[in-house]
Parts: sequence; structure tokens; C-alpha cells
Amino acid sequence: MAGWSQLPKDLLLLIAQRLNTHFDLLSLRSVCSSWHAFIPYSLHPLPSRFPILPTNGTSWGLYLSRRRILHLRLPESHCQSTTSSWLIKVEEDVPDMAHLVNPLSTFQFRHFPPNFPKNFAFSRFRVSELGQEYVLQYMNHRPSGEADEGSLHKGKVTFSCTSNGDDFVMLTIHVSGKLAMFRHGNKKLTLIDDMSCDDLIFFNGEFYAVDKTGRTVVVAIGSPPVLSLVADSVSGGNKKSLVESNGELLMVDTYFDQVIHRIMERAVRFKVFKLDQIRRVWVEIENLGDQILFLGEKSAFSAVASAFCGCAGNCIYYTNSFFFPCGQEDDAYTGIGIFNLENGNMGPLSSFPDYAKVIWPPPAWVYTDNIRGV
Amino acid sequence: MITLTSSDGQTFDVDEVVAVEMQTIKHMMEDGCAESGIPVPNVTGKILAKVLDFCKKHVETVKAEELKAWNADFIKVDQVTLYDLIMASNYLDCKKLLDLTCQTVADMIKGKSPEDIREIFNIENDFTPEEEEKIRKANQWAFE
Repeated sequence: MAGWSQLPKDLLLLIAQRLNTHFDLLSLRSVCSSWHAFIPYSLHPLPSRFPILPTNGTSWGLYLSRRRILHLRLPESHCQSTTSSWLIKVEEDVPDMAHLVNPLSTFQFRHFPPNFPKNFAFSRFRVSELGQEYVLQYMNHRPSGEADEGSLHKGKVTFSCTSNGDDFVMLTIHVSGKLAMFRHGNKKLTLIDDMSCDDLIFFNGEFYAVDKTGRTVVVAIGSPPVLSLVADSVSGGNKKSLVESNGELLMVDTYFDQVIHRIMERAVRFKVFKLDQIRRVWVEIENLGDQILFLGEKSAFSAVASAFCGCAGNCIYYTNSFFFPCGQEDDAYTGIGIFNLENGNMGPLSSFPDYAKVIWPPPAWVYTDNIRGV
Repeated sequence: MITLTSSDGQTFDVDEVVAVEMQTIKHMMEDGCAESGIPVPNVTGKILAKVLDFCKKHVETVKAEELKAWNADFIKVDQVTLYDLIMASNYLDCKKLLDLTCQTVADMIKGKSPEDIREIFNIENDFTPEEEEKIRKANQWAFE
């Protein structure tokens, strides 16, 4: 069969450059021997631990860890009628060694089911990358290799860098609630005084920040950084989150019920807004259609329901400390809830088995090794 | 007007303004080789017709929205034709068509397993069992 396997190297590379994820590149390399020879291992060789402050001989350093949120499915040829998926978040510690983190929280899975494959071959599956999460960590070079979370930040870290990593910008929310910026070559964080920030996102090549009233700006990186208004405030809830869905920027407004408990806030309602960039307002949307939103502790992303779990879209996975009953930290579902936009029903993930089984335990097809070949 | 002749002998009369969308043809015109027509030995009549369709539409149309919709329709072809279009747009050096075809292939690949990709593009798995094992090991992670 002449044809695609005979595609000249430079044309194959043109195609490979348009693939955004590490896994797509791996898949491409595993198709046939000529493609394997032509495509370098990684077109964007960024390590998943990115040093922010150099160590310079000191015993610790500040690193940015990148985690990938992956949607795994069987190859199309193996799929039966029901769509079965697995949603995971992986952090690559050293090349080829990874650990699994709950997709919505920072809870690390330590106990795998008995037959779980020791070596996990990604090329057996369809792998879509739904998002990335960045976490700031202090790395102490103690023999035990423990990592403590930096106390400099709370909430999201957003990050942008050139393809070879020689220049980068990091935006995060400082403990004071202000926006903090760190650029390559800086010695410390720059605090941006103009706003108290609820959430951040890197969307369409720009950094967006929202305050608790819903007022949203684009942060243009420079000295000094410049904030431009993209949307006015909305009235209503207590916490704003930004998420990308179907190529658009959405804002989710979380309403907390603080009567129950002063310390732990319980989410009682969510409203979703879409950005009208021309009129510079957030417009409420009543129905997400086939989209599912995920509001994690350190990241937010979305998925298409029909490809994801076969159940209805128009719902939100969210994290809520209210769902952390004592002594149950080992539960994969701890801290996660589902909100249905259609009827306002909500509750812990364990009450929604169709939505829960995508997260844990791993589906049966992850274990079986009878899928031929690479 | 320029006359182009495909590998299987079909002739096409093309406006100069359309012909220059293909850099290869443009250079030949500038070098004065175009008087008695330009042979295009690497491209069949069927594919050349499609390429010329593309160039003509892109010269005539100004609105980006309209072009985007037209492109989406234009590129709905089987994988054999898609392959021929990539090769032709590369040979004729028509950047816009090359971009469109490469992006289309990339979109077909995203999120697919190697097995899926072979099915879509009708590619044979020509790895030896040893090579397959090596690749599987390269694609795997150990979870701690």
C-alpha cells in the first residue's frame, strides 16, 4: 500500500507541528516505521517540572509542576455501543514514571486495584488532553524527596512559555488575593495592585483574570503589566471561576450557603455566563447543551458529554470542601459534587454513579491486555 | 491565460491571476517558460481540477467567513484524494491549500490511537514484533 506511509518527511512534520499534545505525537510515531523514523520524540521538549527560581547551590528550589488531564478511551475499532471513558490527571515525576492525581483535586491515588497494569501503555488507547494544571512546589532535596506546596500562592497558576522554554510568564493569585506575576529573569514575584482576584485562565493566547464581582480583565504582560477590561461585574454569587468550553470563555458563579458552617462553605447553586466581547458583558446561559464543565481546585476544563460518558451534558463537576467528611480522605470521590443545570439537582459524586465511574475505579478495559500490538 | 497540462493529458486554461496562487507556476511564468503551456507531470487531471478550483475561489472571495465555510466543504474528501491534494499543493507550492490539507489531517489524528490512525488512512502496520515491543515500552509509564 503506497500512500500515507510514503508521505515525505517535511510534509509529515508540517502535520506533526499542528498536533498540540504529547500523546498525539506519540500516537503518530507509532503508526508505521517510516513515520516513526521521521518524527522526533518531542517537538516541544519541556520537562514537566519547570524550575522557576534557580537553586544556585542552595538546597531547595521553586518549581512549577505540570499535570495533564487526560481522557482515555479504547480505539474506535474496539468500541461497542456504550462509551466508556476514564478521566485521569497525571504528573510525570521523572521520564516514564508518573503518579495519578484525582482530576479535580490534589488527592493522589496511592492504592491501585489488584490487577492494575504496572506499566501503562498509552498507545493502546485514544488519548485526548483536556487541559493542563500547574502547581507551584518547593522541592526540598531531602533523601525522602518530599515536596511542600509553596505558601506564596492560593488558587490557580497559569503559565505561558515559548516552545523551547527559554522565556516564560507565570501568573498566580497571591495569598493576599492580588494577582502576582513572575517572568523569566525576575528575582521575585511582582504584585499587581489593581485587583483582588478570584480566578485566572490562559485563553486564546491571553491571560484573563476575574474578581469576585465578575469584573474581568485581560492582563497584558509588560513592565508594568496592563489590565484591560473585557467584562463588567455581574450581581449574585460568591465565587467566580473561568473555564474554556467549546472554544469560548465561560464564567461560573458559585453561590455558597454560609449559614450552615462558617468555616466550610457549601455550594448551593451555580450560574453560567458566556462572554460577549463586543458589549463587554457576561451573558447568562441557561443550558450548556452537550458540554460538561469541570471546576477543579487548581484547574478548570470541559468535555463533550456524548464522547465522554454517554450520559447527559449540561452539568458541572465541582469541588467543595463541604464534602470532606473526616477520616475519608482515601475515597476517590471525596470532595467532588455534581450540579445539574437543567433541574438544579446537586450532590456528592457518589450519588451520581454514571458520572462517578468515569473517575474511579479504572474501567475494565484498562486492565485487559488483549488489545493487539502497539 | 495560461494552459496547464496534467499528467494524464488533460488541459486547463487558467487566468494568470489564479495561476500565480501556485508559486511553482508563478516562477515558470516569470522565467518565460509559459508560452506553449506548462506541463504538470506530478498531478492528475482530477486533482489539478480541484487545486484550480481552490485557487480560483480564493482569488475571487474576500470575506473570510465565506472562505472558511467553503474550505470546510471543499476538504470533505476521501483520504486518497486528501493525500493527492497534499502532494499536489506541495509540488505546486500553494501555501493556503497546503495549510488547509495539513490542518485537516492533524484534526483527523487528534485524540486517536495508532490503531485508529492506521484504519483511517489505510496504513499497514509494518513494525517487526521486536520493534513493536520497543515502541510499546517507549509509550508506557509506570504508575507509582
